[in-house]
Amino acid sequence: MPTLLQKLFSKRAVGNGNARDCSTAVEKCWASAEFDLAQIRLIVYQDCERRGRQVLFDSKAIHKLDASELTADETKTPPNRSGACHIGSQASEKDKPPTYQYTRPASDVNMLGEMMFGSVSMSYKGSTLKIHHIRSPPQLMVSKVFSTRFGSSTSGSTNTLQDSYESMSQTFPSHTSSIGVCRVPSAPLLCLARSASFFAAHSNPVDMPSRGHSEDGDSGIARSASLSSLLATPLPSPGSSFSSGCASSYQRRWHRSQATSLQHGPIPRWNTEEMFSLSDESCSSNPAMIRRKKIAISIIISLPEREEENHNFQEFFFSHFPLFESHMNKLKTAIERAMIVCRRIAESSQRVQVYLCRVMEALGEFRMTVWNLYMAPRISEPVWLSMISQSTERNPLCQRFLKEMSLLMDHGAKSQFLSALLTAVLTHHLAWVPTVMPSSLPPIKTTCQKPASQTVDLLAKSHPYNPLWAQLGDLYGALGSPVRVCRTVVVGRRRELVQRVLYILSYFIRCSDLQEHVQPQAQMENPANPCSSQTTDPTPEKTFPPKPDPLKPTACVIDKALNPEPFPGTSVEQNNHTLLTDTKSTNPSSSLESSTVRPGCAEMGQECFGEDSDSVGGGLEHILANQSPLLHRVQFHIGSPRETENEGQAGGLSGVGCGRGLDRKLHQRLLTDIRRNESSDSALGDSDDEETSQRELYMATEQKEYELPLPTCQVESRASVNHFGRSLLGGYCPQYMPDFALHGISSDLRLKQCLVSDLEHTVLHPALDEPVAEALCIVADTDRLSVQVVTSQRRVCEGGQLGRDVMVSNLVHTLITSVLQLYALNIASDFCVMHLEDRLQELYFKSRSLAEYLIGQTRVHVKELGLALGIESSDIPLLAAVASTHSPYVAQILL
Amino acid sequence: MNALVALCHFCELHGPRTLFCTEAVHPPSPSPPQPGPAIPGDRDREADREGEGLTMRANSSATQRADMCEGCRSLPASHPGFVSVDSETGIRYLSHQHPRQQQLFSVVRQACVRSLSCEVCSHQLIKLNFIQIICICVILVYYLLLQVCPGREGPIFFGDEQHGFVFSHTFFIKDSLARGFQRWYSIVVVAMDRIYLINSWPFLLRHLRLTIQSLQNTALKVFDSEQCVCPQRAVRMNSAFSPAVFPHQRSGNAARSLTSLTQHPNLWASLHSSFSWLLKACGSRLTEKLLEGAPTEDTLVLIERQTEQEEEMSGWEGAEGGGSNPQPSQSESVQAKDFQFDDTRQEDLLGPKFKSLRHLRQVLGASDFRQLAWHVLMGNQVMWRGADPGLIQSAFNVLKALLPVGCVRAIPYSPHYEEAYRCNFLGLSPDVPIPAHVSSSEFSVLVDVLNVERGCVNHVSDDDILSLYQFNISSANTQATDKGPTLLNKMEVALSNENLSVEVVSLCLLCLKEEWMNKVKVLFKFSKVDGRGKEDTQKVLALLGATGPGEEDNVRLLKFWMTGLSKLYKSHLMTAVRVGERTLSQ
Repeated sequence: MPTLLQKLFSKRAVGNGNARDCSTAVEKCWASAEFDLAQIRLIVYQDCERRGRQVLFDSKAIHKLDASELTADETKTPPNRSGACHIGSQASEKDKPPTYQYTRPASDVNMLGEMMFGSVSMSYKGSTLKIHHIRSPPQLMVSKVFSTRFGSSTSGSTNTLQDSYESMSQTFPSHTSSIGVCRVPSAPLLCLARSASFFAAHSNPVDMPSRGHSEDGDSGIARSASLSSLLATPLPSPGSSFSSGCASSYQRRWHRSQATSLQHGPIPRWNTEEMFSLSDESCSSNPAMIRRKKIAISIIISLPEREEENHNFQEFFFSHFPLFESHMNKLKTAIERAMIVCRRIAESSQRVQVYLCRVMEALGEFRMTVWNLYMAPRISEPVWLSMISQSTERNPLCQRFLKEMSLLMDHGAKSQFLSALLTAVLTHHLAWVPTVMPSSLPPIKTTCQKPASQTVDLLAKSHPYNPLWAQLGDLYGALGSPVRVCRTVVVGRRRELVQRVLYILSYFIRCSDLQEHVQPQAQMENPANPCSSQTTDPTPEKTFPPKPDPLKPTACVIDKALNPEPFPGTSVEQNNHTLLTDTKSTNPSSSLESSTVRPGCAEMGQECFGEDSDSVGGGLEHILANQSPLLHRVQFHIGSPRETENEGQAGGLSGVGCGRGLDRKLHQRLLTDIRRNESSDSALGDSDDEETSQRELYMATEQKEYELPLPTCQVESRASVNHFGRSLLGGYCPQYMPDFALHGISSDLRLKQCLVSDLEHTVLHPALDEPVAEALCIVADTDRLSVQVVTSQRRVCEGGQLGRDVMVSNLVHTLITSVLQLYALNIASDFCVMHLEDRLQELYFKSRSLAEYLIGQTRVHVKELGLALGIESSDIPLLAAVASTHSPYVAQILL
Repeated sequence: MNALVALCHFCELHGPRTLFCTEAVHPPSPSPPQPGPAIPGDRDREADREGEGLTMRANSSATQRADMCEGCRSLPASHPGFVSVDSETGIRYLSHQHPRQQQLFSVVRQACVRSLSCEVCSHQLIKLNFIQIICICVILVYYLLLQVCPGREGPIFFGDEQHGFVFSHTFFIKDSLARGFQRWYSIVVVAMDRIYLINSWPFLLRHLRLTIQSLQNTALKVFDSEQCVCPQRAVRMNSAFSPAVFPHQRSGNAARSLTSLTQHPNLWASLHSSFSWLLKACGSRLTEKLLEGAPTEDTLVLIERQTEQEEEMSGWEGAEGGGSNPQPSQSESVQAKDFQFDDTRQEDLLGPKFKSLRHLRQVLGASDFRQLAWHVLMGNQVMWRGADPGLIQSAFNVLKALLPVGCVRAIPYSPHYEEAYRCNFLGLSPDVPIPAHVSSSEFSVLVDVLNVERGCVNHVSDDDILSLYQFNISSANTQATDKGPTLLNKMEVALSNENLSVEVVSLCLLCLKEEWMNKVKVLFKFSKVDGRGKEDTQKVLALLGATGPGEEDNVRLLKFWMTGLSKLYKSHLMTAVRVGERTLSQ
């Protein structure tokens, strides 16, 4: 069944028909339609307690003025599909930056401001994220609102850029190049004075570092990340988890489902203190922090008019949101910097120009990245994913794969290019490891192919996690501990060669395949429609036929549920009263507390609990109204869980003991609830209590509710289109891409410019939505036949090199050599690939023995490793990385 | 999905209220709870909860002033709620008016207030300056807003790490008696996994729209019929009213429940079903196909043996009428057996035992051990003859680890000789004679365990086997055992290095075995399946690293180990070839 993607591609493949033998010649673009850069609009807004809201930037209100050329707006010249989206105009004219004119913001900007800020209280310090869908014209708006960090003791002024804009003639173009001769319009002095303090250069003349975080935050995050991941993954008892198959994948996913579980209540997993810096870091130590100011950064994307294109883009956007967000964060950093930098410039018009220039440049970058993300060519048939999804095509796939690999092996034989590249890829893109960890379960079919993990499958059903997140982590190789993320870029002028490398790597850079289950379009049958059956027949018996189930005595008949009077509600108040009196008599010591409660006790159910009375009080009413032992058991889950447990163990489930326990707890409950209503500070209980209450909540629910059958709906399964496995394995791209797990480029010019800051950004704002200790990039140069690894952890590299050269692992080299020799001996390619997998499994076993070896060692004796375990020093980085996926302590020992 | 769905309402009298909430309660952890703080996070940031406190207070004060009305209520207070159980996964979907957990209560409350009063959903031409007011002002403000702002419907995502993340869709329901003839509702989906929630936007939007449209259409019918009976607009036009007092004038009717607006008698049960389904479907919208490695040959062989055994057993039971021990579940027993080769009987036997290969090597001495291990690896018959079956069995258990499971055929203790084709490990009682053709064969080795006569056995610890026994090894083999196979050479390095723990050595052995098993597979494919000639075979041996010193032993080892391949593997290779030939000929 051809997927949507294939359909889309087949249309375009024709034009791209590079009829070379190389299988990857047909690279396909993601989008079904053109995507115009001008579709992306940026608005920066400020909400100040004193001065209200002001637009600090609106890309719609900015026009580029160029004295020499008459091109109005760079965004008006969209890149053609085959070409790259270059912002080359800016790069080449670096010496002479463009001049911008700021006109009045568009008319809708006020409304958009309302949407951005809403009524988020000023007191909340973290950043908030919002997404709006605007119906007409169809647009998506993503906004982030930040609190500001504004180190200023003397400058209490709230002057803004707005002032500077105002100070300038709306139509007057000023040229930054002509410093000093800038004609400032009338009455600028006042405005300049007003804005001076906002832009005032704070005493520090030294070029400020990129961000405050990068100094202290970098190592801090790294440390916490490694620590938390070390703690989070339990140390497997050595040797015991051999048969556990996808143990590490399972653990990762399980932790994710727990970390994002709603059952623990809201637990910030993440530093929510992200602020918007309005000043140099040198001032941030100032205790006079002004927090009553918020900055909103908003990206508005115009959606395509055509329904199908619109749909496609939205599907892409929402499934790839983490990447969009990460780029937005980068944009935010640039805006931050622009504001800080321009404040040092005294002269108003020039200051605005600097500001506009910088923000426009950052926006250009953002637009280009988004455009590339959407439009760049992808590997049409990534080997690994194709093998998973189409088992019938396996043989030709294997054949092609091996052929390409042996061609490449011959090409770079002298420099061991392929071995070095695979060493690096296997070391950092670690998702291959779970795919070779032996399963303990028998294969379902009578083939010896890899089985799908059943434990993970089960987990996904009972404790859903986000499969897209799991996939993203797989592709970036974030399986080890501490968490590292890696990308691979293949550089080379020979297109065919680069594509060959990409094709081969698409076998080793692995991830899970995603299936999408969609409901057919028959809308009235959809279970999401609550009134479907009602419209045809409103009789309750028809809608939910009563199902008396002898096995479930508590599951009530449905019509009761519809006219619920199962409990004598009238007796509730009376019971409350007796109960509280009883409390007093049995518990004389607490008479004081009792008396404080008493005034409200008559309407306890209504007033003390507030509208809470259904969730908590409702349960109480049942208990009070029905003194049957069965329901007593229910009440144990209402009180403090820890105590509950003790009570339960004491066996006080019936009789007098139970009654007293109930009284006491009710009493406590009342008090705490009253306190809670007075102030919500105590709304969150102890974590320990919650831990225990998880189980009990699950168990407790058995008794009470009316059971209804879970509706089912026909589901059509199809290969998912919008997933990272398809989108992040790029083809031979016109330009370097910061997101792709794998892609090729012709020149490393831009790569050299951006890579280091990109890696730093990845560590600070990982798209993976979990802390990352280190970001890496493997750069394979097919022209020079070199492989280097660049890391976010700055290390001195010799000779101005980007990264460090990769040491070829002997194990990897022999592995590839022998697989290719087998292929050369005309052994079936299917078998060669099986052998390759077996050899990768050997690497896994070796990593296990390395991990075990390291347990008792304070020093690693390389010679010993070589003699006894067959591990050479060149293999240690690889095997240690592999080991860190199943034995997190390895990192600790080796560091 | 790890989320909850709630229906919220902006009540004319009481402001934003949560009406109905469906939660998914997941079964307790499938694996034992993990040690360590699996969920980091500081949950006591009191200062950050100002806003929440505000809303809570506002809420409680509002409640004190006026009780909840019909419009703020879904299920009656006495109603226990609904539950649906997904029998496949054990997830329970629970619906009440409010979530039952206190933390979630405030989260949903917050989401409700924000979705209905703070966030501006959609592009409208009205400027809202007063939005920041949350408390009572909000209520007043919205009397106006509801009047003047009839199109504020649509989806929005908002949230933060402190309060959870919310996908909200606001909408109106027609009410002939309400201000502006409609009431304002929202459905919120609350989750902690922000990315998942955003990823699910298109799905949630698609299905919530169905829910909403269905509610709206149903209410519209009711509205139309009510208007026919009693046109409210006319009534209102005739009676002078001011906005501030209007709701109270109609206090009897002011707050109609959603049930009455839709005339849907089992509305809440239906909504429960819809929401439960939504949570389930959204959670299972995307599924992963995640491959794990193929089981090792050892695992496959164990599984095959077990199924054979079970078949035999069931035959037996059929004949004898049962009475044998119940078999443990397959995977469990495989795990237990895997890599340990434990025979349960071993524990029953008292007396000294060999604990590890290294122990055996220490007891026998390096050269005798080498000889014995060589015979084991070559597939020769290894016989141990002695009076202590426990000791002999422990020796076999240790030695078996040298071989793939498929190569091990052991008879732990027998009163008479068994032929080599039946077993390569054979334990014999002391007086069993060895047939001449066996004792003269170079393909067998015999270890005689002789009791050392010492005064008092009690004083000697069990560990000190040497003080109890003496071991004589005899074989008719004339080949040198000190050259190969390579596997044994490497093994001896690990065994002799006291710096390596027993666990490391056993892992090392596992690595070596897997390495050589992979070579066996290649050789099997090459010689047995493809039937290649000698010259090619030699090339393969070279590329496998089986040539060089000890080549002869390596080849013998490979050939012997071939017999240990699982049936599944062999048949797979054979059929793959046949399929390949078929496709080639076509």
